[in-house]
Amino acid sequence: MINATWRLFCIQASWNYESMLGLGVGYASEPLLRSLPGGVDGERYRAAVARSASYFNAHPYFAGLAVGAICRAEHDGEPGDKIARLRTALAGPLGSVGDRLIWAGTLPTASAAGLLLTAVGPRAAGPIALLVIHNAAHLVVRLWGLPAGWRLGTRLARALAVPPLVVALRLAGPVAALLLGVALPIAAAWLVRDLDLAGRVAAGAMFVVAAVIGRWLTPQLRGARLGLLAAAAVLIGVSL
Amino acid sequence: MTQTALLLGWGTLVGTDLISFPQAMVARPLVAGAVAGMIVGDLAAGAMIGVLLELFALDVLPFGGARYPDYGLGAVAGVAAAAGAPGVLGVGVATVVGLATAYVGEWSIHLLRRWNAWDVRRRAVALERGSGHEIAVAHLTGWLRDVLRAIVLTAIGLLLAAAARRWAPVSLRGAVLLTAAMTGVALATAAVGATRLTEQPRGWAWFAVGLGIGVAWVAL
Repeated sequence: MINATWRLFCIQASWNYESMLGLGVGYASEPLLRSLPGGVDGERYRAAVARSASYFNAHPYFAGLAVGAICRAEHDGEPGDKIARLRTALAGPLGSVGDRLIWAGTLPTASAAGLLLTAVGPRAAGPIALLVIHNAAHLVVRLWGLPAGWRLGTRLARALAVPPLVVALRLAGPVAALLLGVALPIAAAWLVRDLDLAGRVAAGAMFVVAAVIGRWLTPQLRGARLGLLAAAAVLIGVSL
Repeated sequence: MTQTALLLGWGTLVGTDLISFPQAMVARPLVAGAVAGMIVGDLAAGAMIGVLLELFALDVLPFGGARYPDYGLGAVAGVAAAAGAPGVLGVGVATVVGLATAYVGEWSIHLLRRWNAWDVRRRAVALERGSGHEIAVAHLTGWLRDVLRAIVLTAIGLLLAAAARRWAPVSLRGAVLLTAAMTGVALATAAVGATRLTEQPRGWAWFAVGLGIGVAWVAL
């Protein structure tokens, strides 16, 4: 179990467009499959390992639940086609829950707290807050997932209905939204504090133009692309 | 020389954290920038570039097979470009260096995923036979490819930073204008990202409440 838990932390190392997370799930599952009847030279081990490395996709933090459940099903002697159906059934919910809780919840919350504390506190406080807040959730999910999946096996849906997870899912979005709302104006004031009036006006004008482009005109042209385009425009403008 | 080696080492850790191991979010620009700032002895530049690129990164939702810029390595390169520059003068140019590195990083992630897919296809027969050893080799080779990607991308970023420090084609006024423009775009990117994040029921209401608190804080 310890070996498999450790391997879960690098589950995305071989992520690719074809089997996606599949090979990583196979890598994390393999230590748990060694104790199947017949050992590592047995037919059940080979069949289980081959199945474990086939196509799979879910949120990487929640993949431990799937690894535990699939390995338990293999040990329980469930038929191969039933295990394949279990994998397919788990991918969607584990991806959706992870995306909502982590990518749209704890990560923006941690990021907003980090921005806020960098702006108003000691500079090192922001990055530390980001790491602590995010990894509190990260480690709990990673360390809970594998044993919970192993315990529940094909009844894994119960793990997604445990009260702490349901409450966390309900709170994650609103907390992230609230903290982002607090952090953005404070970060903005901190960033422009050394700019003169003309610089602040230029930053404000660029904010409006970039927001309109990114939100309504050409949503594909935002982030790094829009930033580089704006920089090119400024460099050309000042050289004329 | 030691500083460059440390930045290269830190960039490698940051790059692999984003994809392979351990996904503890040291790849977030705020963290990557602050540590890079400590390495170059300019924590103020590290915090500034870290905050700017963190705002850009708020637009990223890495769902499924989404493609996204590598803003963490961008922060390392950006801080290397900004270190030692007075006030706001280096921030704009350094942010451009960071964005360029992050954008190259997006392509490097795409290439890495295709390279991994090619390797999985190449080993398909052994994988279908259920070889645990072959799975471990294929997976750990993917990790090594990511380490290589992170090293190469950090080196590209540091070269861009060195070139920008030496030959940045910007006057003093241009440097200030560039900083203002990058600040505006970063804030707009974060605001647009926040509106996408808050599209769930009542998300807008919580975001509006937060904005009210934030604006009141600034005003007071």
